[in-house]
Amino acid sequence: MDYNFQYGVVWDNFGALMEGAWLTFQLGVFAFAGGVLIGLLGASIKTYGPWPLRFLVDCYVVFITNTPALIQIYFLYFGLPELGVRWSNETCVLIGLVLNAGAYLTMILRAGFLSVRKTELEAGQTLGFSLVQQIRYIVVPHIAKTVYPALANFFIVVLVMGTSIGALIGVDDLTGQAINLSSINYRWLEYFSVVAVIYVVLTFVASIGLALLGRWAFRVRARIF
Amino acid sequence: MPHLAVNDLRAKYGALEVLKGVSFSMEKGQVVALVGPSGSGKSTVLRTLVGLTPVSGGSVTIHGDEIRYSNAASVRRARDQMAIVFQQYNLFQNMRIIDNVTVAPTKIKKRPKAEARADAERLLAMVGLADKLNAFPDQLSGGQQQRVAIARALALHPEILLLDEVTSALDPELVNEVLDTIRRLATEGMTMILVSHEMAFVREVADKVIFMDSGAVVEEGLPEQLFDAPKTDRAREFFGKILRH
Repeated sequence: MDYNFQYGVVWDNFGALMEGAWLTFQLGVFAFAGGVLIGLLGASIKTYGPWPLRFLVDCYVVFITNTPALIQIYFLYFGLPELGVRWSNETCVLIGLVLNAGAYLTMILRAGFLSVRKTELEAGQTLGFSLVQQIRYIVVPHIAKTVYPALANFFIVVLVMGTSIGALIGVDDLTGQAINLSSINYRWLEYFSVVAVIYVVLTFVASIGLALLGRWAFRVRARIF
Repeated sequence: MPHLAVNDLRAKYGALEVLKGVSFSMEKGQVVALVGPSGSGKSTVLRTLVGLTPVSGGSVTIHGDEIRYSNAASVRRARDQMAIVFQQYNLFQNMRIIDNVTVAPTKIKKRPKAEARADAERLLAMVGLADKLNAFPDQLSGGQQQRVAIARALALHPEILLLDEVTSALDPELVNEVLDTIRRLATEGMTMILVSHEMAFVREVADKVIFMDSGAVVEEGLPEQLFDAPKTDRAREFFGKILRH
């Protein structure tokens, strides 16, 4: 192999890469947070709602989980303008990712809803808890603890795989910045090897943060590797 | 006036009538044991008393006040006066032991935190778990968890404690630590209804034994009377089978 690695240009533009990493992190956090809200709503409906609503949630989950996120985002970016709705590329990615994550999180959180022990609720009832108090003190902490590892894993999926789709419609996230910069001087290998390391660091930091949060808040022994 | 009077109590699971008119009464400070084969409705009696299983007929009165199970406020009052301990302990897995015991007094009864905590510490010491305040339920043995469940029930200062097969899920060697706790409560004058298969224990602590079969009371009386000289054939058959070994 006679390829000559020249990392100089990468370091010169390191600031731009870090800006991309910051945008990646923001997109990941907001997409995940939005997804959790939709997921909570979807899981509540699936567990407690009437059948027409349950059917709608099923349609949404089946449609989203069986089509690629890229195509969903393309629909928002290239399809909506035909209907007169023009969103910026960042908005399209964010909304696309929220809708996508919401479907997966509906399924993850539903598992948590189903895992609440009826016997604990009965104990709460006989101790005088109202329905709201049962949800507040028994159901929610239980769900949080049960699904936390799955949620933490899914956050990493959104953070890395989800956000990088944005690069394909011109979002300047970490992947997008790497594409922009390397197309100037064709140092693809250098840029992308550094970007890969930045992704690893990003997910590593997020994993440790989530593991500590889980241990502290929910007594979950999450594994980092 | 009896402390608790149950009159013609009926309950159904769907079409199946599981309580076909159960009647008994008890005085303050008494320990009443419900015994009988599985499926005879013993546990259902306790569950209907605290409003977990819907009542389909009959009446329950405490101090002469009738509990109306269709009325939420009335059920709340009943739950103030009666606390139940379950076979499977049913502790709140996400809370520390001390919080399991204080959550209802502080959050439901709005008692001051410090007072509820002092009370909980006293109760946990009484059941021999003063050193486990900060443990979580899954770190304790079954017997320890069951003793926490008893402390949790007592923290509400119930007039009547209902014990639903509290030793049935325990390893044999853990049974005694729970029975010791109940024995102690009995000597302190706690009014209790216990469903149990521990016949030797029932004989020792119960003031009255009620033998049930197929959702109805077959015979009731003093322990010696029922165990040694049952009047009905069904009771004779049951006690003959279980007391022979």
